[in-house]
Amino acid sequence: MAEKLMQILKKTASKISADQADAYEIFGLSSTETDIEAYDAHIESLSFSDSSGMGIRIIKNGAVGYAFTSFLGEEKIMECIQKAAVNARATTGEDLNLLPGQKDYLYKHRALGPHALYDEKFHHYSTEHKTDAAKKLEEITIKKDKRITGVSSASYHDSDVKAAIINSAGFSDHYRKSACYMVVNAIAKQKEDTSTGYYFGFGKHMGQICLEDIAAHAAKRSVALLGAQKIQSKKVDILLDPLVGSQFLGVIADALTADSVQKGKSLFADRVGEKLFSIDLDIYDDGTMAQGLASAPFDGEGVYKGKTAVFAKGILKTYLYNAYTARKDGTQSTGNASRFSYRSVPSVGVSNFYMSGGKDSFKTLLSGMHEGFYVMDIIGLHSGANAVTGDISVGAKGLWVKNGDFTHAVKEVTIATNFLDFMKSISKTGDTLTFIPSQGFIGSPALLVKDMMVSGT
Amino acid sequence: MLDKKNINKIIAVLMGSGGSFGEIYIQKNSSNSARLEDGKVENATSGYDFGCGLRLWHGQSTFYAHIDSVDQQELIHAAKILRAAVNGDKKKVIEVQACQKKAARFSAEPIGAEKKKELLVVVDKACRDYHPHIVQVSATLSDQQQDIQIANSEGVFSCFNTQKVILAVHAIAKKAAEIRTGYQSYAKTAGYEIFDQKDPASIALSAARTAVNMLDARGAPTGQMPVVIAPAFGGVIFHEACGHGLEADAVTKDASVFKGKVGKKIGSDLVTVLDDGSMPGHWGSYGFDDEGFPPSKTMLIDKGYLCGYLSDLKSARQLNIKQSGNARRQSYRFIPYPRMSNTYIANGAQDPKDIIGSVDRGIYAKEFAGGAVDPATGDFVFGISEGYMIENGCMGPPIKGASLIGNGPDILQKIEAVGNDLDFAPGFCGKNGQSLANEVGQPTVKVSKMTIGGTEV
Repeated sequence: MAEKLMQILKKTASKISADQADAYEIFGLSSTETDIEAYDAHIESLSFSDSSGMGIRIIKNGAVGYAFTSFLGEEKIMECIQKAAVNARATTGEDLNLLPGQKDYLYKHRALGPHALYDEKFHHYSTEHKTDAAKKLEEITIKKDKRITGVSSASYHDSDVKAAIINSAGFSDHYRKSACYMVVNAIAKQKEDTSTGYYFGFGKHMGQICLEDIAAHAAKRSVALLGAQKIQSKKVDILLDPLVGSQFLGVIADALTADSVQKGKSLFADRVGEKLFSIDLDIYDDGTMAQGLASAPFDGEGVYKGKTAVFAKGILKTYLYNAYTARKDGTQSTGNASRFSYRSVPSVGVSNFYMSGGKDSFKTLLSGMHEGFYVMDIIGLHSGANAVTGDISVGAKGLWVKNGDFTHAVKEVTIATNFLDFMKSISKTGDTLTFIPSQGFIGSPALLVKDMMVSGT
Repeated sequence: MLDKKNINKIIAVLMGSGGSFGEIYIQKNSSNSARLEDGKVENATSGYDFGCGLRLWHGQSTFYAHIDSVDQQELIHAAKILRAAVNGDKKKVIEVQACQKKAARFSAEPIGAEKKKELLVVVDKACRDYHPHIVQVSATLSDQQQDIQIANSEGVFSCFNTQKVILAVHAIAKKAAEIRTGYQSYAKTAGYEIFDQKDPASIALSAARTAVNMLDARGAPTGQMPVVIAPAFGGVIFHEACGHGLEADAVTKDASVFKGKVGKKIGSDLVTVLDDGSMPGHWGSYGFDDEGFPPSKTMLIDKGYLCGYLSDLKSARQLNIKQSGNARRQSYRFIPYPRMSNTYIANGAQDPKDIIGSVDRGIYAKEFAGGAVDPATGDFVFGISEGYMIENGCMGPPIKGASLIGNGPDILQKIEAVGNDLDFAPGFCGKNGQSLANEVGQPTVKVSKMTIGGTEV
């Protein structure tokens, strides 16, 4: 229970002496999770977890120390306080190292109510419901097409998380969040040729996940790529699937944090106010989206979250801030101190981060292509994209397009560009967004990009 | 940690409703790290985890539960939750006797946060002194000490301790609008005595040199050409493009291109590959694997012929082979899977200079920004973070924005020269949501033809 967690945090706070800390923050997390993998009509694995832990951030003479423990016995908590205090002696002190206070908040109020992120129906589903759903996902995916020989995984994951923060500046709040996620990766075979395709679904409880939809998408994606051929290098228009668009957007997300910018690690440094897209598209970070997997009432250091327009009409409007980076730039925190667990200090990161959709349906975008490449899947994005320089080079698979129709599947090509050029080359966006859970929750429409180099043989 | 009597009691409860195998995994983990960026030690963190994972097999299913506690009552409660999922004939449990122990000896004690700070400052200075174009340095120094106990219903009872230390350095160089990055890490399964053998400043210099060298890089060519892959981290290509397909769970799930190929010729005569988790001090080594079995030196490919797979208990029994001691897990919170340890291409006979000399026009790929692969197909892409042209048998200018694209099994056939300069590099490998310490290795290797995705036609 969140109340029990708050009690432990309050008790811990009472043990921190003024000697040890000028200011402190305690972040507590407790969660129960279920993970299920189905394979070949049986349950391959079923895993339960019940875990909790806390992280203590201590500020002494402007220097920050951190320690965490998953073991919440009194002795280990005392040791944790002690270690955080010792660590604060080893870091560099700075005037800007302060806990966030009201004046640091860009969004002054808690936008999400106590039940916004948690659905009681989460607990209406038994373990058996969940294992059946995972098995059914595999079964119906295989039935979608004769060429699908199996799945490499069909899985169900859920979590019921309680998070709480208290600090010496007077913040004390908690929230509870439920989430379910299912994913399947279909394997299709035709003679010697193999291809794979994955798809997923999510919700606050199992009832919000549509198995048929996941199966249909995964099946379609895996089968479409059978018989893929290599092609000659060519400069053509490309159409990025929303899933691929989301992955590209995920790469620039980090470069839009004030932390990256201030440390000289971002291609967006000194570009606020510039029109970086040719068309009038918007990009938002919205930590308060009701259906967003990355939503929370407050961020990893207790600053309320809101909806921030990072790009408006193609113009870069702002970076994303936590309290420290905001102070450094003389502005306010956008509530983007991100924290995935109690095991680390908060960093700066996106929450629900998405590009607004355009007017055209996917069909309209496709039918407007004379010759081009519809990119369905990319590999190597994390190795092949550099958020500092903006260089991207990724492997791509998809379908070749001629006069608005698919002609054949294509593999082993690369797309290499620089992100700033890429942004300028986006000419149209689709009307439907797809979100992917990543470091945050990232959404994009289909993107039509002009004149890109597609490298083949 | 728990004694024999407690362990036997918990396993008896776990196996009380049937099941073919029961196991308890107990882990105590202390970690400390400090991170420098922007010339400042930004944070120092200490962590403590102590908990257990219980595993139960029934039919083809694995049931798993983990708790952040070693309290006997809580463990019995977790064991009862698991056994409630099982209903079958009770199998005779072989009680554990004395534990087989491996106690590692470390010549140096973990160092405190203030000592870490001194070392990081040396790293920062070495990078910045190397060249005025170095504009940013980030460095992390971390250590980890673990005590692990593993016991199962078949009488296995192993205990060991281990220590790991890693220094990772990122350098960023800037000249006009060009920004380039360099990375180097030094990591061992050992204590701080590792810095007696290698000066931290030399790690820093290596990262700085890459970043500065690459400032003058020109756009990479596009198309097919010979590629010489540098020793040490070059082994990541084999790891990603072939290694994961040799992990036996991929084989049992029909998600490996190497299924059914044992004894067959899958690569050129020059290719011999081993995995060895028993090499003292190497980053991917361990005293026992995470099922309590000793690591072994496994021949994967012998002169082009596939010899076998890397397995854990489950996959070994499914394939009717002897488990190879490659069961690994990130922590007590995870189910173990077959994973690589230290995987390397063995030395060949050629002088690396002669290998480069044999190329008229091609690429020398020195460092990679990681990579990605689809294990079902073997298709991969790797971003080259430090690469050079080879022109008329000599090293040419640096190139940027290049990626290598291809197919693992296909590349194995195309290896036409192997050098005599085997070296290793540490890294982290992700699979099934678990990140592990892994080492890759190889001598200089020449591939006759690979697709380069560049920016220039």
